[in-house]
Amino acid sequence: MIYPLLITAFVISTCGLVYELIAGTVASYLLGDSVTQFSTVIGVYLFAMGVGSFLSRYIEKRVIETFIKVELLVGLIGGFSATALFVLFEHVENFRILLYGLVLLIGILVGLEVPLLMRILEKKLDFKELVSQVFTFDYVGALLASLLFPLVLVPHLGLLRVAFLFGIFNVIVAFWSVRLFKDELRARESNFFKGAAALCAIVLVCGFAFSEKIMSFAESATFSEPIIFSTTTPYQRIVITGNGRDIRLYLNGNLQFSTRDEYRYHEALVHPLMASLPKPEDVLVLGGGDGMAVREVLKYPSVKSVQLVDLDEKMTRLFSEQAFLTKLNKNSLKDRRVSVLNGDAFVWLRELDGKRQFDAIIVDFPDPSNFSLGKLYSDTFYKTLRKALKPGGLVVIQSTSPYYAKNSYWCVVNTLKASGFLTTPYHAYVPAFGDWGYVIGSLQPFDAPRQYPPGLAYISPESFACMLEFPHDMQPTKLAVNRLNNQELVHLFEAEWSEYEQH
Amino acid sequence: MSNTDKLSRKLFLRSLGSFVLSGTIGGAVSGCLTACNRLGRTNLTNSTYSTNFPVKMLGPSMAVGHRLRDMLGRLNPAFADEVKADFCKVVIVGGGIAGLSTGWWLQRHGFNDFTLLELESACGGNSRSGKNKVSAYPWGAHYVPLPNLESHYVRLLFAELGLIEGDYSVAAPRYNDLHLCHDPQERLFKDGQFQDGLVPRRGLKLEDSLEIRRFFELVHELRDAVGADGRPAFAIPVDLSSQEPKFRELDEITFAQWLEQRNFNSKPLLWYIDYCCRDDYGALSANISAWAGLHYFAGRRGRAANAETNSVVTFPSGNGYLAQALKEKIRAHIIESAPVLRILPGQKLSRVIYEQDGKTKALQAETVIFAAPRFLAPYIIADYKLEKKPEYAPWLVANLTLSGVPGSRGTPLAWDNVSYYGDSLGYVVANHQEITTRRSSIVITYYRPLARMPAAQARRFLQAQGETFWRDEIVKDLEIMHPGIGALITSMELWPWGHGMVSPSQGYMWTGRQKLERRFKSVVFAHSDMSGISNFEEAQYQGIMAAETIISSGTALKEST
Repeated sequence: MIYPLLITAFVISTCGLVYELIAGTVASYLLGDSVTQFSTVIGVYLFAMGVGSFLSRYIEKRVIETFIKVELLVGLIGGFSATALFVLFEHVENFRILLYGLVLLIGILVGLEVPLLMRILEKKLDFKELVSQVFTFDYVGALLASLLFPLVLVPHLGLLRVAFLFGIFNVIVAFWSVRLFKDELRARESNFFKGAAALCAIVLVCGFAFSEKIMSFAESATFSEPIIFSTTTPYQRIVITGNGRDIRLYLNGNLQFSTRDEYRYHEALVHPLMASLPKPEDVLVLGGGDGMAVREVLKYPSVKSVQLVDLDEKMTRLFSEQAFLTKLNKNSLKDRRVSVLNGDAFVWLRELDGKRQFDAIIVDFPDPSNFSLGKLYSDTFYKTLRKALKPGGLVVIQSTSPYYAKNSYWCVVNTLKASGFLTTPYHAYVPAFGDWGYVIGSLQPFDAPRQYPPGLAYISPESFACMLEFPHDMQPTKLAVNRLNNQELVHLFEAEWSEYEQH
Repeated sequence: MSNTDKLSRKLFLRSLGSFVLSGTIGGAVSGCLTACNRLGRTNLTNSTYSTNFPVKMLGPSMAVGHRLRDMLGRLNPAFADEVKADFCKVVIVGGGIAGLSTGWWLQRHGFNDFTLLELESACGGNSRSGKNKVSAYPWGAHYVPLPNLESHYVRLLFAELGLIEGDYSVAAPRYNDLHLCHDPQERLFKDGQFQDGLVPRRGLKLEDSLEIRRFFELVHELRDAVGADGRPAFAIPVDLSSQEPKFRELDEITFAQWLEQRNFNSKPLLWYIDYCCRDDYGALSANISAWAGLHYFAGRRGRAANAETNSVVTFPSGNGYLAQALKEKIRAHIIESAPVLRILPGQKLSRVIYEQDGKTKALQAETVIFAAPRFLAPYIIADYKLEKKPEYAPWLVANLTLSGVPGSRGTPLAWDNVSYYGDSLGYVVANHQEITTRRSSIVITYYRPLARMPAAQARRFLQAQGETFWRDEIVKDLEIMHPGIGALITSMELWPWGHGMVSPSQGYMWTGRQKLERRFKSVVFAHSDMSGISNFEEAQYQGIMAAETIISSGTALKEST
């Protein structure tokens, strides 16, 4: 009976250390700064083990039963720890409370284990032997865990599965203890524990089996502000954060707007084009499912129809139904002049084939960060766009930052030019983004507007005149045409932005 | 599986390295962590790969072929004479690119009295294609390189189909952007990562890089070489190549010998060359003529106003798009599912016995265009004997539907995705040309020539192995590039090509193929095996040349009356 219990000491110490390593790893992974994460997690964990050891003194009777309960709890909580941390990361407001709470809980339970085990063994060994043996196995188990974890377990199983596996080990210890002490347990109790152990084991095995699905669900992104809404659509991950009056929208982790300064971005996108048209009636907005650009378009009384084409149905639904979001876009997507179509802009335009034409086309796509988005900035796309333009109509294209990615910006301008447009490039300063670029495409020379609708906070004839000036540090070093068969823009964009991403 | 193990070990050693090198706790911990994260992710499914999806073996109608062979004995000339025959001036046997091109060319020249008989339920031959909810996909040929200046007929067809916009006869015509292969075009998996392009660039020694450069300098020189007869050394179609002996002599040695003579030993370079030979000829450099091998590298000179020279014209259904377009043009003349059982060539009129809807029928024709592979001719054409059969390479093509883009390291998904390891040619993404941003499912076409055993043995092997064998082979091969890809596969269809394409073996290009008759009595032959190279340009050229024999005799007749 002594050796089985010493093996138990070995197993539980291995499990205990593994949970600690998992918490540290997940924390560094999700929060960054591994030195801080590891030392705080280890500190809190050791402290919690001390608390557990202290608490063990209050367990006077039924030590064996308590030990079995503790094992089941450690198995269950430890087993699900990694999964819980990953899944809840995006959904809880303060992740650190969850993290340290979990570390504290597991630490306390693990801290209870060894004292309880020693008390179970105290009648069977003399004190000197007991201390020597239990701690030997405890520390050997710790060594094994610390070696196995990085070299074998994580590479072959992945974090989630490792946690589940060791949870199962804890449950096996519980089960084994029930059998070892069957003479000292009441029959009913013994059966209850066996049942509970079996249930825990089943749950953990399921977790082990499906951990992969969980992992892909719990893809992580880091946001500095509290998350107030998040959802995954077939096309993107939508996250909305809120910090007082500053609401921010992130698509796949990229900032789309901040309520502090989105008016600057959207006024600059919409008004130079709209105000220069004598009487814009039919407007097409591609992308821009947040309805902000449409809000600006509706400031022109001559507008009779606005067609919005955005890929993501969830996105447009969110921005036409959620009260805190429709407040931001002034309920523009519900306006009777606006019709929303969820579809792929390129495919839709090709099918349209000039059968419907617009006075103004506003193109507000995500930056060309991958090859499928790059196609929406190609000369083929702009030629297709041209067919949807009325004679005398205008297009405007959001075209990334001429400061951070000057060659990318001028590549968009150049591609538009190569597709038969006259181009008017301009840029505006949007604090949340930095210096941002746009380009107007026209079929006749473009005249800057002399008058804007009342109530604009940013755009005026004077401010727009400044926007047309590009200083030396925004001049391109390379000019290219973005074609479907070369995707120049994506290559340029990748090269230019990666300079800013590597700190 | 063993390969993903290897990968993880390598990664781990690297992370250990960072442990040792960094020396600081922070570095060590974060080094370990990045490795852990990476490994934890890539190895979620490394234990076994999933093969939990339906597999279907399709393929050319073997049953019809075998029945045809069985019927031969019973089909005596007397019986053949009994079948009542309709008259048709020209009968085309076979609806691959050659046969379809014959029909297209005849019709273009106002000859409308022809019938095309196709054995299979759909025309196309090697350019057949399939379609599912996600995309159309090819069962064989899947692209055409930018046509050279001398590839006149390809350019003409492209202009007719709107693939070339404007003047098709200029050096660099403008192509329809939607059908030029979109970027990224190619990537190669080597040493645990994908790189841009197919010429190996990762893990090269200096000697390798120098040899690769020397090789390309040499083939570029050959690409621009012109013979004393004013023709390019390597033309497309091959028949327009220079006849100068110094070029033709290259046919007398194997490509491997040629490479050896010029001291090309670099392993990555020889891998690349063998890859190209397997890709174009289904054979290794040791088994093909040096002339043919060099033709691959030195033959393509096509340019476009709006693309780089190595660009290609491609479609989701591969060259099935071109086959379909040709078919549309001559639809009224085509009878599909009509196996030809016998051709009885006479002095003035020939009889073609075929089957349709279970009934035996016959056509009487002035000329029969035999646009099927030549190895079939002795079985079908009465009294025709083939002295030496051309060799044909067996292939396996599979189309896999994936529920998502498979994860990978390095350069992202391209049109053509090749692995440095294993015997396949990798895969081509069928719906690469889609302009939608919402692509989630993809169809990939997996190509595997059985180049490493003798053709006859490979053919038996191909037929003997069932669908589970090939399924496991394919998934195992793909798992090297994409650990966990098995779980993304939602269906797999296989197409074994017993006689996939003609092999331009040593001596075949300028000796062997010249011995194949162009005509037997009133039967005119048209197939890419007469070119020695199996591709769209050659098949089309052979088809048009066969049509020309009729057109020129027809005009002669008109003039005499």
